[in-house]
Amino acid sequence: MIQLLANWILSFDMLSGMGASVAWGLSLFIVAALIFVFVAVNAIVLVYIERKVSAFMQVRLGPMRVGKYGTLQTVADALKLLQKEDIIPKMADKVLFVVGPWVILVASVVTFAAIPFSDTLLAANMNIGLFYVVSISSIVVLGIVMAGWASNNKWSLYGAMRSAAQIISYEIPVGITLIAVVAVVGSLNLQTIIEAQGGTGNLFHWIPIPLPNWFIFHSPFLFMAAFVYLIGATAEINRVPFDIPESESELVAGFMTEFSGLRWALFFLSEYANATLVAFLVSIVFLGGWQSPFSSYQGTQIGFSIITIFALFWTIFVQGKTKRLSVYPLGLSLVITIAAWLFPGFAIWMASPGIFWMLMKVAGIIFLLMWFRWTFPRLRVDQLMYLSWKVILPLSLINLMGVAIWMWLTGEIQF
Amino acid sequence: MSYFSNITNAITTLVDGMKVTMGYFVRAREHVTLQYPDEVWPIPTRNIGVGELDSYNTIRSKLVVDFEDCIGCKACERACPVDCIHIETFKAGPEEDIGTTKNGTKIKLRVTSFTIDMSECMFCDLCTPPCPEDCIRMTPDYQFVSNDNVKLDVTPEERWRDRGHLIYQFSKVSPEERAQRGAEAEKEAAAKAAALEAKRIAAEKAAAAKAAEEAAQKEVTEETQEVNPSQNMVEAAAAPEVTPPQAPPGPPTQAKPPVEAGMERVDLPMETSAVPENPVDKPVEKPAFTETPAEPETSTDTNDASKGETENG
Ligand code: SF4
Ligand code: SF4
Repeated sequence: MIQLLANWILSFDMLSGMGASVAWGLSLFIVAALIFVFVAVNAIVLVYIERKVSAFMQVRLGPMRVGKYGTLQTVADALKLLQKEDIIPKMADKVLFVVGPWVILVASVVTFAAIPFSDTLLAANMNIGLFYVVSISSIVVLGIVMAGWASNNKWSLYGAMRSAAQIISYEIPVGITLIAVVAVVGSLNLQTIIEAQGGTGNLFHWIPIPLPNWFIFHSPFLFMAAFVYLIGATAEINRVPFDIPESESELVAGFMTEFSGLRWALFFLSEYANATLVAFLVSIVFLGGWQSPFSSYQGTQIGFSIITIFALFWTIFVQGKTKRLSVYPLGLSLVITIAAWLFPGFAIWMASPGIFWMLMKVAGIIFLLMWFRWTFPRLRVDQLMYLSWKVILPLSLINLMGVAIWMWLTGEIQF
Repeated sequence: MSYFSNITNAITTLVDGMKVTMGYFVRAREHVTLQYPDEVWPIPTRNIGVGELDSYNTIRSKLVVDFEDCIGCKACERACPVDCIHIETFKAGPEEDIGTTKNGTKIKLRVTSFTIDMSECMFCDLCTPPCPEDCIRMTPDYQFVSNDNVKLDVTPEERWRDRGHLIYQFSKVSPEERAQRGAEAEKEAAAKAAALEAKRIAAEKAAAAKAAEEAAQKEVTEETQEVNPSQNMVEAAAAPEVTPPQAPPGPPTQAKPPVEAGMERVDLPMETSAVPENPVDKPVEKPAFTETPAEPETSTDTNDASKGETENG
C-alpha cells in the first residue's frame, strides 16, 4: 500500500519531481498518520460504545447529555484530558515515567501496520505478519512495567507485576493456539491466512451444513481454539475478567494510578487499540477476515432469508413474552433480505470480500469483549494462574495435536 | 474428576450470566429508571382532607404568594406553627395609592419583605385558610432545586442558617424602597418618641409638683417616688391590673413586634391617645386580625368572593 501511495503521489505532474525515495518516505509518513488517526478515533468511538453497552447491560442509559444521546461525550472527555495538568510525582523516575506510556502506545499502534483491512488495504504485507503482531504486542508489558516501576507507588508496582506475570503466562497458550492455525495454512502471512478461508464448505468437513470455509468451522479443535485464543487474548490485554493489573477495588488503578491528563489518555488509547487488535486477529485467523460469509449472490439471498426466518421466530417466541417488542432485528434483516432479492448488485456486493465484512466481524468481537467485561466477575490471581497453566495451556496443546490429526484424517495433508 | 466438572460448571455459569446481561441489554429501555429532570411522574390528585374536595384537592407543596393581592395582615404569619413566615410592613403614606386586591380591598400597608423559609415549612397548609385575600396558597410544585444560590434579603436572624436559596422572598418591593421606608418609619418613630419623652417629662414634672404638694399637705412617705412616676400616674388613672407600659424604651425602630404593641395598647387607653407608637397596627386591627381564626363565616365569605372572581377572571 505504501508503494501504491508513492506511485500515486508520483503520478501527479506537480509532485513528480520529488524523486522516488522522497515519495516513498512521504507515503510512509501518511500511512503512519492514518493508522494513528484510526487508533485515536477508534478509541473515542469505542469508549462511547462501551459506556452505552455497559449502561444497557446495567439497565441505565449511559451518557445522554453531551450531544444527541451523548454522542459527543467522549470527545468532551478527550478535550478535558488534554487540558488537564500534567503531574509527575516528585519521587518518580522521571525518564521512565515519561517514556512508559509512549512505549505502550507505540507498541499497540505499530502492530496495526501488519493488519489487513481488506485485500488491498494494508500497510505492510509481511510474510511473518502473525509472528510480528504477536511479538510486537508483547512489548506492551515492557511499558506497563516501566510505568508501574517509575510511579514509585506500591499500587502501581503491584499492578505492573501482576500484569507482567499475567501477560507472560497467557502468551504461551495464545502462541500455541495460533500455531495450530499456522499448521493448517502453512504460512505466517496474514493475507495468505485470510485467502485460505475463502469459499464455502461443510461444517467440520463432514457435517453437511453449508458454511463458509472459516477456520472456526474447520474442525472441532480449531472451533475450541478460537475460544481459547479469545480467552487468552482477553487476559493479555488486561480486560475484565482478567483485569487484576488495574483492579479498581484492590489497586486503585494499578499501573495507571499516578498518571493524569495526556499520559493517562495514552493508556486508554492503547487499551482500546489492543482490544481492537485482538478483535482483528480473531476475525483474521478464525473468522475469515475480509472474506464475505456468502460465496455468491444466491448465497447472500438464501442466507439472509434464513436469518430473517430466525429473526421472525425469535421475535414471536422469545420477544413475544416480554412487554415491549423490539422489532429492529426482524425489520433490519427483512429489509436486507428484500434488498438482496430485488437488487442483485447489492447481493453481489454483499457476497464480495471487502473492508465492510472485516469491520463487521471486528465490531462483533469487540461487542463480545464488552459483553464479557460487563458480565463476568474478576478472577483472583491464583485462579488466573490456574486457568492459564492448568486449563488453557493443556487445551491449546490438545488443539495443536488434534488439528494435526484432523488434517491427516480429512486428507488435507498426506505423508 | 472435579477438574472437568469445574470447567463445565464455569462454562455453564458464565453462559448463564451472559444470558442475563444480554436480556437486559436488549430490553434496557423497558427497565430503565425515570430520567428525572426530563421526565417526572404525574402529580397525584387526591383529597388532602381539608375543605371541599375540589377546593383543596392538591398535594401540599411549595407555597406561593400573589404579592399584588397581599394586604400585609400577617394572618398567615400568626397561623404558621413553625414560624417560618416573616412579614415586614410599613404603613403607606396618607395620599399614597398602593393598589387594591382582586377582592377590591384597598391595600394600606406596604409589604417590604415577605419571606417563607421553605426549609422549615412542613407543608401543613395551615397558613392558607386564614388569608382574607386568598393570596397565599399551595402549589403542586415540589421541586425546590434551583440553579442560583442567591442569598435573598433576609433578616439577620435568618441569615445564620445559610439556606438562602430555600428562603423565598415574595415581596416585589425593591431593597432601596425597603431601606427608605425603614428609615422614614424610624425617623417618624423617633420623632414620636421624642414627643412622648417630652410629654412624659412634663407629666413627671407635674406629678412631682403634685406629689410635692401632696407631701406638703399630707406628709406621706416618699417611697413611691423611686418607682416610675408615669406608672404611678397610669395606675391611678386606669385599670388596677394593667401591665406596666414600659415607657418608651427608645425608638421602636421597625414594625417588628406589632402584635404585642397592639395588645398592650388596647389595655392602655390613656397612652393610646398620646402614643400611637407603631404606625403599623392601626389599619390592621380592622378586618382580619381579630376575627379570621375565630369566625369562619367571614373568612369563607371572602374565600367565596375571591373564588368567584378568579373563576370569572
Ligand atoms: S404550610 Fe404550615 S409550616 Fe408551611 S408556612 Fe404554612 S403554616 Fe407554616
Ligand atoms: S394572610 Fe394573606 S393577605 Fe395577610 S399577610 Fe398573609 S398572605 Fe398577605
